[in-house]
Amino acid sequence: MSVHYHTAIRWGLLFALLLFVPEAEPQTAPPEGLRKNTPTVHAFVNGRIITAPGKVIEKGSLVIREGIIEAVGKKVKIPEDARVWDLKGMSVYPGLIESYSEIGMPKKPKPEKRDEPQSRVTSHESPVRGASYWNPTVQAHHKGAELFMPDTSEAKKLRSQGFTTALAVPTNGIFKGTSVLVNLGEGKANELIVKSQVAHHIALERNREGYPNSLMGVIALVRQTFYDADWYRKAHEVFTRNPKLPRPETNEALASLVDAIEEKLPFIIETTDELSLLRADRIAQEFSLPLIVRGSGMEYRRLNAVRKTRRPILLPVNFPKPPTVETPEDAYQVTLREFRHWDAAPENPKRLKEAGILFAFTSQEEDPGTGSGKSEHKEGKVFLDRVRQIVKRGLSKEEVLRALTTNPAKLFGVEKRLGTLEVGKMANFVITEGDLFEEKSKIREVWIDGKRYEVEPIPEVDPRGEWVVNVRIGQEEEEWTLTLKKDLDWSEKASAFLLKGKIKKEKHEEKLKRALLTRSKLKFVFSGDSLGHPGVIRMTGIVESPEKGETLEIYGRGEWGDGSEFTWSATRKVPFKPEREPLDSLPDKMASFPTVYPQGAFGRTRIPDQPEVVVVKGATLWTCAPEGRIENGDLLIRKGKIVKVGKGLKVPKGAVLIDGKGKHLTPGIIDCHSHIAGTGGLNESGQAVSAEVRIGDVINGDDISIYRELAGGVTSANILHGSANPIGGQNQVIKLRWGGTPEELKFEGAPPGIKFALGENVKQSNWGERFTTRYPQTRMGVEEIMRDAFRAALDYEREWKGGGKGLPPRTDLELEAILEILKGKRLVHCHSYRQDEILMLMRLAEAFGFRIATFQHILEGYKVADVMAKHGAGGSTFSDWWAYKFEVYDAIPYNGVLMHGEGVVVSYNSDSSELARRLNLEAAKAVKYGGIIEEDALKFITLNPAKQLRIDHRVGSLESGKDADFVLWSGHPLSSYTFCEQTWIDGRRYFDREEDRKINENNQKERTHLIQKILTLEIEKKKKEKEEWKKEWELE
Amino acid sequence: MEKGMGVGIMKKVFFFCNIIVLNLLNPLMTFSSDQIPGRRQERPVALVGGMIHPVNGETLKKGTLVFDQGKITAIGKEISIPQGAESIDISGKHLYPGLISGNTTMGLTEIGAVRATRDMTETGRINPNVRAEVAVNPESELIPVTRANGITSVVTAPRGGLISGTSALIHLDGWTWEEMTVKAPLALNVNWPSMTTIRAWWMEKSEEEQRKDREKALNELDLAMKEARAYWVAKKARGKVKTDLRWEAMIPVFERELPVVVWANEIQQIQAAVAWAEREKFKLIIGGGYDAWRVTDLLKRKDIPVLIGGVHRNPSRRWEEYDLPFALPSKLYEAGVRFCIASGGWTSNERNLPYHAAKAAAYGLPKEEALKAVTLYPAQIFGVDDRMGSLEVGKDATLIVTTGDPLEITTQVEMEFIEGKRVDLSSRHTMLYEKYQEKYRRLRED
Repeated sequence: MSVHYHTAIRWGLLFALLLFVPEAEPQTAPPEGLRKNTPTVHAFVNGRIITAPGKVIEKGSLVIREGIIEAVGKKVKIPEDARVWDLKGMSVYPGLIESYSEIGMPKKPKPEKRDEPQSRVTSHESPVRGASYWNPTVQAHHKGAELFMPDTSEAKKLRSQGFTTALAVPTNGIFKGTSVLVNLGEGKANELIVKSQVAHHIALERNREGYPNSLMGVIALVRQTFYDADWYRKAHEVFTRNPKLPRPETNEALASLVDAIEEKLPFIIETTDELSLLRADRIAQEFSLPLIVRGSGMEYRRLNAVRKTRRPILLPVNFPKPPTVETPEDAYQVTLREFRHWDAAPENPKRLKEAGILFAFTSQEEDPGTGSGKSEHKEGKVFLDRVRQIVKRGLSKEEVLRALTTNPAKLFGVEKRLGTLEVGKMANFVITEGDLFEEKSKIREVWIDGKRYEVEPIPEVDPRGEWVVNVRIGQEEEEWTLTLKKDLDWSEKASAFLLKGKIKKEKHEEKLKRALLTRSKLKFVFSGDSLGHPGVIRMTGIVESPEKGETLEIYGRGEWGDGSEFTWSATRKVPFKPEREPLDSLPDKMASFPTVYPQGAFGRTRIPDQPEVVVVKGATLWTCAPEGRIENGDLLIRKGKIVKVGKGLKVPKGAVLIDGKGKHLTPGIIDCHSHIAGTGGLNESGQAVSAEVRIGDVINGDDISIYRELAGGVTSANILHGSANPIGGQNQVIKLRWGGTPEELKFEGAPPGIKFALGENVKQSNWGERFTTRYPQTRMGVEEIMRDAFRAALDYEREWKGGGKGLPPRTDLELEAILEILKGKRLVHCHSYRQDEILMLMRLAEAFGFRIATFQHILEGYKVADVMAKHGAGGSTFSDWWAYKFEVYDAIPYNGVLMHGEGVVVSYNSDSSELARRLNLEAAKAVKYGGIIEEDALKFITLNPAKQLRIDHRVGSLESGKDADFVLWSGHPLSSYTFCEQTWIDGRRYFDREEDRKINENNQKERTHLIQKILTLEIEKKKKEKEEWKKEWELE
Repeated sequence: MEKGMGVGIMKKVFFFCNIIVLNLLNPLMTFSSDQIPGRRQERPVALVGGMIHPVNGETLKKGTLVFDQGKITAIGKEISIPQGAESIDISGKHLYPGLISGNTTMGLTEIGAVRATRDMTETGRINPNVRAEVAVNPESELIPVTRANGITSVVTAPRGGLISGTSALIHLDGWTWEEMTVKAPLALNVNWPSMTTIRAWWMEKSEEEQRKDREKALNELDLAMKEARAYWVAKKARGKVKTDLRWEAMIPVFERELPVVVWANEIQQIQAAVAWAEREKFKLIIGGGYDAWRVTDLLKRKDIPVLIGGVHRNPSRRWEEYDLPFALPSKLYEAGVRFCIASGGWTSNERNLPYHAAKAAAYGLPKEEALKAVTLYPAQIFGVDDRMGSLEVGKDATLIVTTGDPLEITTQVEMEFIEGKRVDLSSRHTMLYEKYQEKYRRLRED
């Protein structure tokens, strides 16, 4: 590339341009010192120009002026005032757009360590600076354009990967504020900013302390914030019309959201996995937000569900490192899920493309360990290497370029200015040697706003090749051979190009310890011992090119090991011929196995079939219905529903027949207290009242507990919020439809409920010394905070009924949920132990005109069973837990039976993913302790929990019209020696012990295969590196 | 329990009703106070006509078992009942040795969340000298509750740190801890440091921090052994040694009088513990042993028994079979590794020990083996099988009379003898049960 200066400037043309284009770099700041006005007209000729994805001009020209593309094409007239750059052998690409970064943004404060004393109470009563939202994680008013501070070193790193523009996103909060699109050149923020408000960012990231410290709390906060923004808009509209009204609060965060919604600014929700993406989609649907998702790289795991969202994705290119499998013991610590992800992750973009999803790449990666923290940009060529791997795994180069240029330009609303090399667009482009998406290609320079930024400087001379060296030792002369090789890589640290080489004298050979080229000066060091010159020899010389062509000469000096000096000269005999052989060092093999749901062990390629008709013949049927137990009974199922229960039923043609001889069949077990199948914490402990949080927002069908519990006969579970607060969050009843998406797991039509809690947990008795100030700290306070919430809900209702005058009422999701309780539309499931508190809550509820649906744990229920029965509360208890804390010292295993005896509907629950696997044996304890009949004992885990959850019209017994949810047992369901053979839900066989053995066998094979794949690749890689090295040093 | 279970259960319910009546007539029950320890056996007792399950021999139908002065004196079909003996008809009932629990903190902890009632973890990481038995609270309400389900004897052990202290085998009846103690010290308890790196979201420590923690713990354990050994050597050489209680307590371990229970679940912990015990020439028992089935060759070759730390547990790795913990005992059995089944160590629920064994039987372990795993095998592993673990002439009369298989939940324990003393089967639980039955009786009367 040579540069020629055209001195003749065509004033006329420039004048003409001035009419349309404002002066270069319009700025308000006065100049410091002299004005700098180097001409800005450049012409690039003879290059291969990729003007847009899929559009290539071989030997084309590109003209830019004032930072804007003036012309591009095969036959372009080069303006006379242009500096001409010869791009022979080079390619020009549109500048790449980094679609997510934190460049120039204030660093995120590090989370405080947990052991430091700090109250968990978020006090939003103490004053803070500015009119912000009450919760400090809502920072929607933060503007990237205000926060952005040019960061030269970070910009340089990004440029080295071909990026010319980046989206810069504030780092802090759940609502992080708005992002800004910046060019990655040097200069002030004023000059670099391309678009000052691109999108609002929401990170579904929880706090360690304070509210919200669970994912469901985060989602609840996001939801409430959008409601608040809506209210804020309305309230201020009303107030503007009628300033005599009480003044609504000023809130910059909400104001910013109001503006964004009106301007239809996109919202970018940052996700941590594919289920998180589905959650983001649901939030966007609820508030009709134009959503862009920041992806996780795991979208392929639920491709169909992801496709249905039709959301564009900012896709991190973050493939996991191969798991450690050096020893078999190491490999035990790796899940099949991790192995499979390692294998399939590089194919994610290709699969997304096939699913028709629009995406843009980002080099910023999620820290895979935490699912929340973010790592810094990786130095070096990691990003481009990975992009090249994506190409190898099937995504076309054209699509890759699209994901780095036109797609982000479109998503960020700058498609008229960026993304392609077209006339009128910004002069942002990349000059490479070789195809950008091939290995060994080099980015030489990038141009941003028409300014040149060198990435890897081009050496003034290329000294590689074979040299004859003449060394003068006194009067004598020695002839050596010098060979210089290697890529001539630029080293920032050494400010020099790196070389490798060897010195040969007769048959003796020495490798150069170090060889550098700085401008035209060559320096190298080697051991002279074998050449007959003891010690380390140092030599320097200037490379000269006396004539045009490839002949080169060196004149230099050196110093022997003994300190004496010498001079030398050299002439190049054979110039270096670079080999352009791509090196395959990374796996380009396709994923080894088809996708299973969920990813990893015991996943299935699809959900089990629902046969038209199923008949179980000859089993002992425990109907949990008036028929009681039927020996040698038959069960007929059609389309997932029980049709007939009886003896000697006819088997319709084509029915799937199951031999139940010698086996027992019971309804599916229903666990009325479970914390499985959720993600991001099911105990929002940041507030004493958190009725707004919803388990339904964080259901996770990938939890292996689902499968393990199926293997213990559980078919439905009540997923409850924890017991950290008197009024906890909203529960979610699920069916254990292993493999399903979160929405598919939900028990359709199950009435909504909420968790309450009493006693030691809510008054923080066992939380440690730090937790002594949150209200309430006594059982007295527990009653009061509940009463307060109920009264507030009634006040709230009145406010809404109040009529049109005044400020509009504000939707409060917490009070809405509490109001539903008071209206009897939301079931209360209350964690409780002691009789006093049990009685208290019943009386409180009665005073407000509603009933408690179930008391959970309720270990002293036996002391007030008569009151419970009268009140109508169910008792969902442990069979025999006790003495783990003071309030359960009076717990007795006869509790269930005593309550049952007084007419309370009693269930035994697990509260544990382990105990849930053997709830049938918990039921047996009702026979042991208190001696009720077996049929009634079994109802403690089937019909009774169904009644407590108000789903007994669907499940809980074997009766015509109910769902075909049942368990086939190897023997008597209350015997310790019995095991579960099959578990059916909706007439689908979700668990089958025989099938389980096969799945496991296949899983083991998969593990072995993938472990071998990793090991083989590592060995191949090492071998290739060695071969490469050998080839380089092969003696002729 | 296969066919006809229903009928069996109905019978059991019937029996159970009888027990309540019987218990009301039992002189022990006339006390309104807490449970009172059993009286020393004053005359021979003959249990007549029951099904005798000696555990290590043939089951005897309609047999008789006689014991005197706390020892079994005769077992058989046609045996003469000594003069003056109390003869108890147990026809239709079953006779088993008392169950032995290998992993508890019985008497050392009352209410988990109440600090004042926790005595199982001494401060510091190297505590070989602390002894469990001296802190056993004979008034613990957990004792009668556990005993009522046929568990006559438990290993109670200190917890925490690297070397937690020595455990004791205690009977679940007696006025003082001295009276209750069967054997102490029983074993030294060591917790092997975690050998793997956890990368889960909840892990607050980085991989590096975890690695450092591991190195630190291993070095600390190593150093302790070196210092203790130096003490032992100096002491043997009759050197002037100032007392160090920690190292003093290690001497029986070096002399192989006292076994070491190393709590190790993960394979690398087990491997490391075995290598460590080999080097130190310790008598080793692996506690926990989740991965023991992966190293059966090693355990068998060195004859290292495994104290299985609970069958009722979840697989520890996501990709493992759901029933792997259930099948662990049968895998060890098939490989010929010595083992016994303990619970997970949640002492207030210790009464559920037999169901851990039953779960193993549901998933492959022969039923007889499951029974041995909570009777004879723990006795053998802790070296008390000369006195307990089976019904044999000459062994202690520590036994239970039940309505059926004690591994079945629906079975009731009707009588229990510990060294010939008949013990009270009531508990805080039965007392509260009766109290509130009374409440509802009165309500109905009104």
